[in-house]
Amino acid sequence: MFALQAEGLTKRYAHGKSPALDGLTLNVSGGQIFTLLGRNGAGKTTFLRIASTQLMPTSGSVFVLGLDCVKEPRRVRERIAVTPQDAETIYPLTARDHIMLSLRMRGMEKGEAMRRTRAAIEALELNDVADINAEWLSGGMKQRVIVAMSIATQAEVVFLDEPSIGLDPVNRRRVWDQLALMRKEGRTVVLTTHYMDEAEILSDTLAVVDKGRLVVQGTPQSVKGSSGGSSMRVEVGGGFSADELKSYGKVVAVAGKNRVLTDTEGARNLSDAALARGTGVSIGPVTLDDVFVDILGGAAEGEADA
Amino acid sequence: MALQKVRLMPNRIRSLWAIMYYLGFIPVLRNPLFIPFVFSSPFTLLFILFVATGGTALPFGIAGALTMVTTELGLFVGTDLASYKIQNKFQDIVVASPVSPLTYMFGVALSELLFGAPPLIVLFALMAGRGASVVTILAALGVVGLLWVTTTSIGFFFSAYSPSTQNAFIINGFIATLLSVLPPVYYSVSLLPAVAVPFAEVLPTTAAASLFQGALGLGYSIPPLFSFAVLLMAAALLLALVSFRMKWREP
Ligand SMILES: Nc1ncnc2c1ncn2[C@@H]1O[C@H](COP(=O)(O)OP(=O)(O)O)[C@@H](O)[C@H]1O
Ligand SMILES: [Mg+2]
Repeated sequence: MFALQAEGLTKRYAHGKSPALDGLTLNVSGGQIFTLLGRNGAGKTTFLRIASTQLMPTSGSVFVLGLDCVKEPRRVRERIAVTPQDAETIYPLTARDHIMLSLRMRGMEKGEAMRRTRAAIEALELNDVADINAEWLSGGMKQRVIVAMSIATQAEVVFLDEPSIGLDPVNRRRVWDQLALMRKEGRTVVLTTHYMDEAEILSDTLAVVDKGRLVVQGTPQSVKGSSGGSSMRVEVGGGFSADELKSYGKVVAVAGKNRVLTDTEGARNLSDAALARGTGVSIGPVTLDDVFVDILGGAAEGEADA
Repeated sequence: MALQKVRLMPNRIRSLWAIMYYLGFIPVLRNPLFIPFVFSSPFTLLFILFVATGGTALPFGIAGALTMVTTELGLFVGTDLASYKIQNKFQDIVVASPVSPLTYMFGVALSELLFGAPPLIVLFALMAGRGASVVTILAALGVVGLLWVTTTSIGFFFSAYSPSTQNAFIINGFIATLLSVLPPVYYSVSLLPAVAVPFAEVLPTTAAASLFQGALGLGYSIPPLFSFAVLLMAAALLLALVSFRMKWREP
């Protein structure tokens, strides 16, 4: 059985010009980390909110663990937890209070809630600040508190909307470890991100959405393969005309740099040419970011999400 | 099925208790100015009435303050819920969880009611001092309860439609004034022009105030059974509204 199943999912907001979701269809198997990737306004948050019973779709269907999100939201809610995008800590609760509140309000017994709260605080390195007003914490600490509120639950499917926003690289990895741990427990993690490396390292499956439509879904490997079979990326300095670069492979424009996606042969030829002209060159395997830029025609990383 | 029901009951109480504790007790304990704030208007009116009439209108002041304190307590729950929803996005977490809207609302409301107890106790003591019997006082407590359920539900219901925390604060403050200053809450319904009476009589605040006025020995200008019926119906209607028509999941 699929943990999450969407079929022809469409959402038109009351004041929206174009649909936020436009016939989105996708399946997520249980016990996976599934990532929704897309540019700002692609419809990621809309999808998560509909699947987690916070928002009604205009048409189409979504099932979580085989339960209809539209018709039986109460049964779905027993088994899910969410971390909304842009959630804020509640004044004047402490980090520990936040996690305890999230577990206890779901009916968890006190001893178990305390145990799970301690474990989450430990795992996300919040020990030193667990018992002070969360308002005084840094942005990254607050975000970890917010994330801990959903991952410390026992929900079978956990939705996280941009959970690693505002975290430094070390703390991002701490969150990743927790998500991986949830997968090990057989739980399903549905997350959105615009960090390509995160999606690539963490996901079992990912889906790229654009303008509310599914562009491609698969493993990070297979999605990388969807960019015309290029395996290498070469970035060169100036001194090449656009036409010349095109002769080596697929040119993707990234912030004024000349990036070419090509095969091993093309990479060798282009780097030889660059070295001969004395301009800088760097070579590496194609990343998800390259593919993303290629198929959607614009950088996602570095922009704050709307 | 029966087994599940048995197991769900303590969970619901746990859930209610957790929300009362974390979203009610702790914030109020750490922000105790909330208490005098909620009671400043009702007691201001009571004070003015008392001074301006040389003390003769004190019973009307007590009846009015009881009504207004209860109304504000209920409506301010809506203000808090609006900020948990809009600013913290906490309501999103609650919606996508097994917690029902009623459990959530009453969790926050009950703890705020507890903090509203001191002024209510003062007002009830004043009522007892004027010779109200135990039965009368118990009945008045029931009236407070019904009015509180009604105004809490109104506050929660409107909070779901507020675009901002400030908006919720203003709207709820405005409704509180509208419900407890204009209608015959601090004065007798008999002072209203005849055309306005039928409209005033069906307001839950008028009904509550009229019952309090009766309990304070001022006589009933509206038949008490009618007022009770108005309060019961208002409470039932608004509870149903929150249970079935609440904007809990966004449309
Ligand atoms: N409440 C709303 N009312 C109208 N339009 C909305 C609303 N929420 C989102 N949108 C629009 O729907 C589209 C998808 O938004 P969203 O799901 O937030 O995208 P993402 O999370 O991928 O950035 C955007 O064009 C956005 O402006
Ligand atoms: Mg978003």
